[in-house]
Amino acid sequence: MVYCIGHNIISPLGEDTQSNVKAVQSGHSGLKIYTDRFADVEPFCASLFATPQQFVPLCTRCAETAIRQSGIQGDSNDVIFILSTTKGDNLDLLTPALSIARHFGNPNSPIVVSNACTSGVCAQITAKRLLEAGLYKHAVVIGCDIQTRFIVSGFQAFKALSPEPCLPFSPERKGLNLGEAAATIVYTAEPHEGWRLEAGSIHNDANHLSAPSRTGEGAFRCLQDVTEGIQPHSISLLGVHGTATSYNDAMETVALERAGLQNVPISALKPFYGHTMGAAGVLETIIGMQLVQKGTFIKMLSGFGGVNAAIQLRCE
Amino acid sequence: MEQLIEQLKQQIIESLNFEDMTPADIDADAPLFGEGLGLDSIDALELIMLLDREYGIKLADPKAGKAIFKSVRIMAEYIQANRTK
Amino acid sequence: MLNGEPVTVQETGDKMLVELYRRYAGNYPKFFKMDTLSRLGFIAAEILLGQPADQGQPQVQTVILANRSASIKNDTDYQATISDGKYYPSPALFVYTLPNIVTGEIAIRHHIQGETAFYILDKEEELAPIIHSTPFEAALTGWCECSKPNRFYAKLQIIWNN
Repeated sequence: MVYCIGHNIISPLGEDTQSNVKAVQSGHSGLKIYTDRFADVEPFCASLFATPQQFVPLCTRCAETAIRQSGIQGDSNDVIFILSTTKGDNLDLLTPALSIARHFGNPNSPIVVSNACTSGVCAQITAKRLLEAGLYKHAVVIGCDIQTRFIVSGFQAFKALSPEPCLPFSPERKGLNLGEAAATIVYTAEPHEGWRLEAGSIHNDANHLSAPSRTGEGAFRCLQDVTEGIQPHSISLLGVHGTATSYNDAMETVALERAGLQNVPISALKPFYGHTMGAAGVLETIIGMQLVQKGTFIKMLSGFGGVNAAIQLRCE
Repeated sequence: MEQLIEQLKQQIIESLNFEDMTPADIDADAPLFGEGLGLDSIDALELIMLLDREYGIKLADPKAGKAIFKSVRIMAEYIQANRTK
Repeated sequence: MLNGEPVTVQETGDKMLVELYRRYAGNYPKFFKMDTLSRLGFIAAEILLGQPADQGQPQVQTVILANRSASIKNDTDYQATISDGKYYPSPALFVYTLPNIVTGEIAIRHHIQGETAFYILDKEEELAPIIHSTPFEAALTGWCECSKPNRFYAKLQIIWNN
């Protein structure tokens, strides 16, 4: 297992983890209607920064705080940078990752995890494996995506967006909202008090590229893997993907029931942040850890390409 | 009408990438989804975009496509009644 | 090259992938809807997973691929559908604007319900430590890249963990 020794969130709701948690606890949402942010795009509801952000500076600013908090040296050979993103800096994923590692003077080639909406959870799983294999001592996992005309137009063509703030798991749900944010978690292989990443699992539905399996096959298998040996009643919170699209939430309900987790408290954060894509898995894990404080927290995500991922974190 | 059906068949083949298929291979009265051409949900969204791009018809609700995309003939009839270009 | 032996082809560029599709797969019309990156990975997977299985070896249930340029070639194609004055975003192209879609296509075709993942790396050799730290019995792994029209490169292999 690996241990969380630092974290940070920069989002439209706040400039650090604490201000983000406070905003969520007091029910603030970053979602707003945008009518003329991008040319040709129909009005949409999203959580966007008031001032448009540059990808690399946003990531480095976010990671700096988390690295400082962790006490590790970013320029050490023992540290690996892992970037979770779907569209990176204007469709370029590798160059920004190299720039971020260079910014911190890190000598190792960074890893970019691009596994659709599950990237942020998958990146944490990659960090866990590399640290457990003894390849590095610490991993800086950064999740980030910035909304563009490219992304919004595509989701509109998919008829996947809700014109108003999304309603996960509601019978009235009309689709998802997009969002932008950066989030960072620093993991270490050295035993440390506080939250630790216990287990992770990734499964494909092998069913459809853009629609989840109706039997929740991949998500069910992930949940089964990460809850092995633990009683449902001992799980404090399960952070669902909860995009508020008709298919996703129905699929997650099926997967939860199949895994015997239907009575576990769940949380969906998209009404606060929208779907922050590459950032979602990291951001929603940090908020989950902060809300639970002590106990077991499960985070699950599903995405295009039929991929699903889940992790189990614990704090005693 | 027959001319519109032929043109529509060609546009469907092009926009849905039906390699090796000619308009003659598509039965104007056969169902587009399920049996027949076996289209899926992404194809349905692509057909919605085709209506917009080629005929200036905007479908806000993707569910409305179900009734329109029953066959090429029904689609052509809908286009004739609603086209803006 | 297949198992160290050269494979003879008549065509070049994108047409070569269609030629290989007809030779090694066929009868999977969805192939023609795929972007080049997915066609490339699909064909490579089709050839490798179609080889006679070594006796007693477990079936491939894990797909881990990587490249440098993500889905840039198809991203550019999608971008052309939202150009100024001709704004008709194509959902069929948009779905391929993620590099991991190729792993999804392979998973659907071969009913792979284990792990599928896509990494963007600077160099090919950087994939090895990721693969070695990933738990699996049998995995289809390797490099799968399409940075420009008619320019692609795939080097895939099946790895067994005994």
